[in-house]
Order: sequence, then C-alpha cells, then structure tokens
Amino acid sequence: METATAAHTEHHPDIHGHEEHHEETFLTKYIFSQDHKMISKQFLITGIFWGIVGGFLSVLFRLQLGWPNETFPFLESLLGKWAEGGKISQEFYYALVTMHGTILVFFVLTGGLSGTFANLLIPYQIGARDMASPFINMLSYWFFLTAGIVMFFSFFIQTGPASGGWTAYPPLNGLRDTSVNLGSGLGFDMWILGMSLFIVSSLLGGLNYIATVLNMRTKGMNMFRLPLTIWALMFTAVIGVLSFPALLAGCVLLEFDRLLDTSFYLNNIIINGNLLGYKGGSPILFQHLFWFLGHPEVYIIILPAMGLVSEVLSTHSRKPVFGYKAMIFSILAILVLSFIVWAHHMFVTGLNPNLGAVFTLFTLLIAIPSAIKVFNWIGTIWRGKVRLSSANLFAIGFVSMFISGGLTGIILGNSAIDIQLHDTMFVVAHFHIVMGVSAFFGMFAGVYNWFPRLYGKYMNETLGQIHFYGTLIGAYAIFFPMHFMTGLPRRYYTYANFETFNNFNFLAEFISIAAIIVFLVQIVFVVNFFYSIFKGRNVEVQKTVDGHAYGNPWGTTTMEWTSPIERLHGNWPGDIPTIHRWPYDYSVNGREYIPQTEPLKPGEVPHE
Amino acid sequence: MSVTLTEQDILKEKTEYTGVHPQKFGLWIGMASMSMFFAALTSALLVKKGDYRSWEAFRLPTVFLLSTITVISLSCCIHAALISYRKSKFSQFRWLMFFSFLLGCLFLGFQLMGWSVLQAGGMTLTENLSGSFIYVITAAHGLHIVVGLFVMLVFIVNAFRNRKDPIYELRDIINPKRQLNLELLVSYWHYVDAVWVYLYLFFYLNYQ
Ligand code: HEM
Ligand SMILES: [Cu+2]
Repeated sequence: METATAAHTEHHPDIHGHEEHHEETFLTKYIFSQDHKMISKQFLITGIFWGIVGGFLSVLFRLQLGWPNETFPFLESLLGKWAEGGKISQEFYYALVTMHGTILVFFVLTGGLSGTFANLLIPYQIGARDMASPFINMLSYWFFLTAGIVMFFSFFIQTGPASGGWTAYPPLNGLRDTSVNLGSGLGFDMWILGMSLFIVSSLLGGLNYIATVLNMRTKGMNMFRLPLTIWALMFTAVIGVLSFPALLAGCVLLEFDRLLDTSFYLNNIIINGNLLGYKGGSPILFQHLFWFLGHPEVYIIILPAMGLVSEVLSTHSRKPVFGYKAMIFSILAILVLSFIVWAHHMFVTGLNPNLGAVFTLFTLLIAIPSAIKVFNWIGTIWRGKVRLSSANLFAIGFVSMFISGGLTGIILGNSAIDIQLHDTMFVVAHFHIVMGVSAFFGMFAGVYNWFPRLYGKYMNETLGQIHFYGTLIGAYAIFFPMHFMTGLPRRYYTYANFETFNNFNFLAEFISIAAIIVFLVQIVFVVNFFYSIFKGRNVEVQKTVDGHAYGNPWGTTTMEWTSPIERLHGNWPGDIPTIHRWPYDYSVNGREYIPQTEPLKPGEVPHE
Repeated sequence: MSVTLTEQDILKEKTEYTGVHPQKFGLWIGMASMSMFFAALTSALLVKKGDYRSWEAFRLPTVFLLSTITVISLSCCIHAALISYRKSKFSQFRWLMFFSFLLGCLFLGFQLMGWSVLQAGGMTLTENLSGSFIYVITAAHGLHIVVGLFVMLVFIVNAFRNRKDPIYELRDIINPKRQLNLELLVSYWHYVDAVWVYLYLFFYLNYQ
C-alpha cells in the first residue's frame, strides 16, 4: 500500500510540532474531549451502561409477569418501598415498563448506536481529520449525558420515575396529579426535561454528521464511493433532524398543559367526581406529534444497524456488497416513506377508515425497499468465503431477525387486522424482534468488528461466540412465543382476573426464564468488552512507517485502516490518502481485497 | 500523542464539495430542523382550529406588526454590520451590532406588549386554545431570539472591550475563524427573523 509512503509530501499539515496546539491534560483528553474517537467511546460506554440498566429493568418486570403469585424477598432489599413484601408494586411495574422502553429506544439504540458509530466511522471512512464542528460534537455528547443523568435521577425521587408508557400519551401524562398516577408527578417532568435535552443532543450530533459527510470527504471520495455505513448514518441523521422537532413540539405543549393548565391535549377531565377546567384539547393531537417522530424513530434505530451489517457481511464474506446502489436507493425510499406512515400506530384512535387505508398502503410500500435490502444481504453472503467470526455471526443474525420481525409488520400494517392486534403481545413481539433485537445485533456486529479500531485490540472470539448463540436462541425464545399469546393485552400488571388467559401462564414463565438467561449472556459481552480493552489480543502490525504501526485486522478495503493502529489526533500523520475506487473490491482481479486508496491499474475498469 | 488539533487544521481546504463552509452547512441543517419545530406547532394550531367548535376568534394585537417591522430592520442592521466588518470599518461595525442588539430587545418588548394586550382583552393563557397557541408559539420563538441576543452580546462585548487595541483589530481582519463566526451569527438572525415574519403572516391569516 502506498498510502503510507505518500504520507510525507510538501503539504504535510505538520500536526506534531505546531506552536498553536495546546498540551493535553487528562480533562481535555478523556472528559471534555473534542476528538471524534474519544467521543465515540464516550457514547459507547454510556450506551453500555444504559443497556445494562434498561435490560435489568425488563428482568424485574418479567419476574412479575412470569410469576405473578410469587414473592421475591431480594426485591424488597433492592427496591425498598417499590417492592414491599418482595412483590413489585403496580405503580413501580408501570415505571419499569416505561423506563425500559425509554432507555432502550432512545438512550441505547438511538444515542448509543448512532453516537458511537457515526462518530467513529464518519471521519475515518470518508477521510476527514474530525467532524465539521468538533465543539458541537462534544456538546452533543454532553447533552446526551445530562439527559441521561436527569432520567437516572428520576428513579430516586419520592413519586418515582415516569410510568405512563414510553409513548407518554396524555391525558394520563397530562396531569401532574399524583393521585391519578404516581409517575405523572415530578417523574414525568423529569422525563420531559430529559427527553428535551436528548433531542437537542441528537440534533447537534445529526447536523454535524450530515455536514461532515457532505463537505469533508477526502479527494476522490465521491458520494458513490462511500461505504454503506456512511450512507446509512447520514440518512439516519437526516431523519432525526427532521422528525425529532415534532416530538419536541409535542413535549412543549404537554408541559404547558401540565404546568400552566392550558388545554392542548385535555378536555373535560373528571377526577374523583370533580370536573377539571380543561376544555377543547385532544389527546389524539399528541399521538400525531409523537408518532410523527415515533415511526421515523424506528428507522433512526434500524438504519445504522443496516449500514453496519452491510459492511460487516461484505468484509467477512470476502465479497462485494450485492446491489450497492440498490442499497442506497432503498435507504432513501425508506427515509421518504418513514415520514408518511405514522398513523399506522393510530388505527384504533377513531381514524377515518379511508385515511387508514391510505396509511396502510404507504406502510405496506415500506416492505419493498426492506425486502430489497434483505435480498441484497443474502446475495452478499451467497457463495462467499464466509468467516463465522462474532461480528459476522451477529450480522447474519440481524438478517434473520429482521426478516422474522418484518413479516409481522406486514400483518400489522393492514388496518383491518391491526384493530384486533393493536396493544396485544403480538405487537410487542413484532417490534422487539424487528427493532429491539435486530438493532442490538447490528450494534454487536459493529462493536466486534470495530473494536480493534477503537482500542487497537481484538475482543475475545470464544466469548463472542457464546454471546452470539446465547442471544440468538434466547431472543427467539423470548419473543417468538409472544406471537401466539393471542389477544393478550400488553402492559398489564396481572392477568389473574381473566380466566381465558390462564393457559398462557406456562408461556409467560418460559419467556421470563429465557429473558433472565439472555440478560446473563449479555454480561458475557460486557465482561469481554472491558477485559479486552486491557487484556485483549493486539492487532497484528503489518508494517511500520515513520514510527507509526499499521494493521488491517479483517482485511477491509475502507479507509479506517489506512490510519495507524494507534488513534492519532487528526487520524493520519501525513496527508489524508486519496481515494481511487469504490469500497467493495473484494475477491476481484485475483486479489482478496483492494483498498480504496489503491489507484486503478492501467486498463482496469472501475466498478462504477 | 500530546497535542490537539485546532479547528483550522481539521477544516483546512474543506469547502470543495458544496462550496460552503462545513459549519455554515451545519447551521443550515439546524435551520431545517428548527423549521420542522415551528411547522409542527403551527400545524397543531391548524388542526385544533379545524376541530374545536368553541375556537374563539379574535383579532391579532396590532403591536405584533411593530415586532415584524422591528425584526426586518434588525436583519438589515446586522447585515450592514457584517458588510462593514468585511470592509474593516470596525467602529461602524461595533455600532451597527449595538443597534441590532437594541432592536432585538425592542422586539422582545413588543412581544411582551402583545401578550399584555391579549391579557387585557381577556384572552389569557388558559382562556381558549386559540389564545394558548399564540402564547406558546411566540414564547418558543422568543426563546430563539434570546439565544441569538446572548451570542450577539458576546460579540459586542469583545468588540468594544478591545476597540483601543489596533492589534486586536488586525487580528480580526486576518482571522477567518472570527469572520466565519460572525457570518454564522448573522445567518442565524436572518433565519429567526424570517421565522417571525412567517409566524406573523400565519397568525394574521388565521386570526381575523
Ligand atoms: C415491513 C415493515 C413494517 C411494517 C409494515 C410495520 C408495521 C407496524 C404497525 C402497523 C405497527 C402498529 C401496531 C400496533 O400498535 O397496533 C407497528 C408497531 C411497531 N413497529 Fe413496525 N412495522 C414494520 C417494520 C418495523 C421496523 C423496521 C421497526 C423498527 C426498526 C418497527 C418498529 C415498530 C415499533 C417500535 C412498534 C410499536 C411501538 C409501540 O406501540 O410501542 N417496525 N409496526
Ligand atoms: Cu411505525
């Protein structure tokens, strides 16, 4: 590779000796860092923290759902008044469900996932020294962290955290009266504050990602030479920047209703026989504002995972991505469609059936680009030299999960069928498989694959395999049976009063056991992660140029490994390499892989 | 590594793709985002106006017209400030910035007057949804103005504090970063001013 030899030309930016550069301290390096790689680590580790918390909450409420008649004395020592006598109280059960959803959807799979990989991969893979505005990038992390701290502290207040569902619907969440719902008190104000900070964080991050990809690519890196990860991360940012403001607007109006007694969402509310003064509002208005974000949000979660998976599958199958441009245009189609399907979450709100039909149509249209992508992933691994590394296993697992969950989406997308299925466990099964588990799989594929880039070390492969098989089997064990809990409403504390649902008791217990096992398996990942940071196997050095060691652990074509193994500020010690070809030259011209930085041979026909 | 990059190192020669400075490009995306925010609020208003039978119609206080004139002058004023900065006429720049700041404060004053006119007419925050929307939307917009004023203040304080120092002024001329920041600030102000003009027309058409 001549990238490194080309490094010292006359335009050398001379990063090392410049007088204007400030000395680093512990604070600027680890805490108030403006370096994209450090910010990426901050997002990842904060995300892991939230993943553990969010996952643990689900274990707690699965105890209640699996064994509604048992008591667990350790719960009382852990939760105090929220689990008197070892049984989770009703109020706290709802708080658990609500915060589980909020944390995993926003703090792990949105902030954690996009924050980690957009920060790590965008500068590395497009050939930029950092983000368009490193300062705003730092702010984005700090808003994210503060949002999380607010959310976290809501667990420790008298009335407990928000408990009105992750979708925060009024009127339940529109009144601060804690006699109606404990979690609608201060806990929900903190939820709104936390979410608002979170939204600011995601906007600051998003505008940076887009500006960076569109403006800061290195020479030769035209748009159709970008890896699919970058396309996905950029489109994700576009969706976020355009849809999160709707939720912010919804939250502002909601908080006005709560604190200043306006009636945007409230109308003729009667509590304990008293008619409150709210008039004219409509809770459905909030649902529109919420789902105008809420549906695009699910794609904010899944697109980065799709990008990571495309890249990992191609690298580890030693084959070009099948249908590169089709992949890009499918994401674009998903982006556009994701803005016009939100009412499929509202089929039972009294929506005009004709309108419902329109939304059904658009909803089902999304299946087309989704299916194209699935086809292309399978095409990518088809007859490849597939390595069953942890990264690739998770990527393949992603495809499996995405298919399973996508199929039930098509069922739910039909308004006539959805009226039966809405708010039942079938929906829970659908979105956990297609979004929750899939996105986690994509994220794990990304972490195993890019861990060496972050830390210069590998994660342990054996533990990775245990993690994969445990999670794959366990996740299906949890969510597959939910499809068959016909008619069982979601979000109930107990079904004891419904004789018909007794026959699901066994399934509920089975699911709870599986959930606990899957949670324990994730601990394997966490241990592996932190152990590998310190004790992992080092990335092999392929060559050393000017005192910088270079490697390429998976033999990838993309730019991130043209930068030294050590994470330098500015990423490249000399000039940024120039790009000469598309990112997926695997197994061509008799070579296993050809880096993007390698010029075309005389007579070689470029892929485009 | 014991050094950090300055922003210039990172952004060196990085306008070749869109012809715009990356940070300005970022600001445009931020504007798209803020536009979605106001679009969400105003469409919520339209929805409620359509489906709420007791929606109370009332006339928009005329003082909002004064606010509109004020923001338009503010835009002209701050743009003139940018031009004099580019021509290195720093004393003119300082005063134009200062006037822009005053205009911004005047705008907030007019908005508050608008609120008190509404109150005086019996249209309090909670009286009717038709009024509530005006309060919330103007407040949300006012917050954007306050943020802009705060940043403007930082510029003005810097500019006045060093006005006796020729070295500082020289540094101003040669420092592209400073000029960029000023351009970003001016664009932001044009944007929030335009949002108000939109909001005013929107209210004007919906409150007769
Ligand atoms: C083939 C494409 C898909 C279709 C047709 C589809 C359709 C639907 C429909 C109609 C609902 C509403 C069910 C109800 O509440 O009654 C729903 C719920 C949901 N879907 Fe999908 N979906 C698809 C793919 C996805 C993907 C890719 C994700 C995420 C990555 C996702 C995430 C969700 C979530 C989070 C919910 C439930 C939210 C809640 O009520 O708490 N879906 N889906
Ligand atoms: Cu949806």
